Amino acid sequence: MEPKPAAAARATREVLPVTEETSSDELAWVQKAQKSDTSAFESLYRMQVDRVYALCLRMTANVSEAEDCTQETFIQAWSKLDRFRGDSSFGTWLHRVAVNTVLGRMRKSNRERDRIRAVSEVAPVNESTGDSGGLRDLEKDLEKALDELPSGARHVFVLHAVYGYSHEETSDMLGIASGTSKAQLHRARRLLAQQLNVGL
Amino acid sequence: MSKSDGNDIDYERDELMLAARRLPAGITPKRDLWPGIAGAIEEKAREERSATDSRGRPGWNRMFAQAAAVVLLVGGSSGVTWLAMKQDAQPMATEPSVGTLRFAPVAGSFGSQYHLGPEFLDARNELAARLDEELARLSPATRAEVETNLETIRAAILEINLALAEEPGNALLQRLLVNAYRDELAVMSRVDGIANSAMRRSDI
Repeated sequence: MEPKPAAAARATREVLPVTEETSSDELAWVQKAQKSDTSAFESLYRMQVDRVYALCLRMTANVSEAEDCTQETFIQAWSKLDRFRGDSSFGTWLHRVAVNTVLGRMRKSNRERDRIRAVSEVAPVNESTGDSGGLRDLEKDLEKALDELPSGARHVFVLHAVYGYSHEETSDMLGIASGTSKAQLHRARRLLAQQLNVGL
Repeated sequence: MSKSDGNDIDYERDELMLAARRLPAGITPKRDLWPGIAGAIEEKAREERSATDSRGRPGWNRMFAQAAAVVLLVGGSSGVTWLAMKQDAQPMATEPSVGTLRFAPVAGSFGSQYHLGPEFLDARNELAARLDEELARLSPATRAEVETNLETIRAAILEINLALAEEPGNALLQRLLVNAYRDELAVMSRVDGIANSAMRRSDI
């Protein structure tokens, strides 16, 4: 199938669900982008940017850092696109690139300690990818509370609890042991429960 | 993406985890990040094109290193050739030339201010004309050594001349070129049995 141009992808973004499977359109764009077609890559960007940005934002808890990470993720993805073989969905592959990018940047700097902006300050969420009725109070509070978690616990909670990756996948992405992932999740849940005053 | 591990089921349905799963997978950035990405991609493409070009024509540092290495190599291998040829001094049966050694004509000039002297050009042309015949009188091993030496020297001469065309006033390149021409003439002179090297600095 001939992929839709970037403008069409942009226009349809709001109604396309963020799925875990690589759609045929997306696969066609990937194949074209792998042949250095930047327009096709822009289409992929339009399809995936919200998902990548959300992950970066939740992992970094910093808007400008999340923007930088998102850009770097797509630049890295462009460079490594020939390595995408379709073993996982394109979205999952991009998430892996994003996690590596975030961790790489965090290792290089101590910016995380200086973060000053919380998730609550960011743009409104894209409701087309979440509940149709918007976020409930608990979700809103949870989004804010995530920002206060220590980075290790936050990363695990975001990947495992928000995005549904298994502990094995989460630990693989973060370069930690599976047991560490479970321990960090336990820690995150305990801290969040205290902060949000919910029972476990 | 796979479902969570079995031993996590006890908390998978707690209020917190369910709320986490209800969070939106995507958040729209406040600004369009594509222009920055597109710019970086274009910049990368430019760098790759530039790298490809420079692979075709090495950069100065690489060229200097190559030229210097070639001159060193020539000095060493010329000595080996000389020793081998001395051992070959006794008469031996003539063998046909392999004919693979091609003699590139000298342009007669390099840089903007220097020209190869007439004595050098005469000697070089004369030696070159007899080269195949003289090579055929050498043993195969010695001939191969000579041919390798001359090809290496001529590759160096070509590289240095190209570099000099871009930077005619470069003293190092000029010196490297003189040495390379001198080495070439010396090897050919030895092959021909001519004792004196006709090339001097003053010829250039």
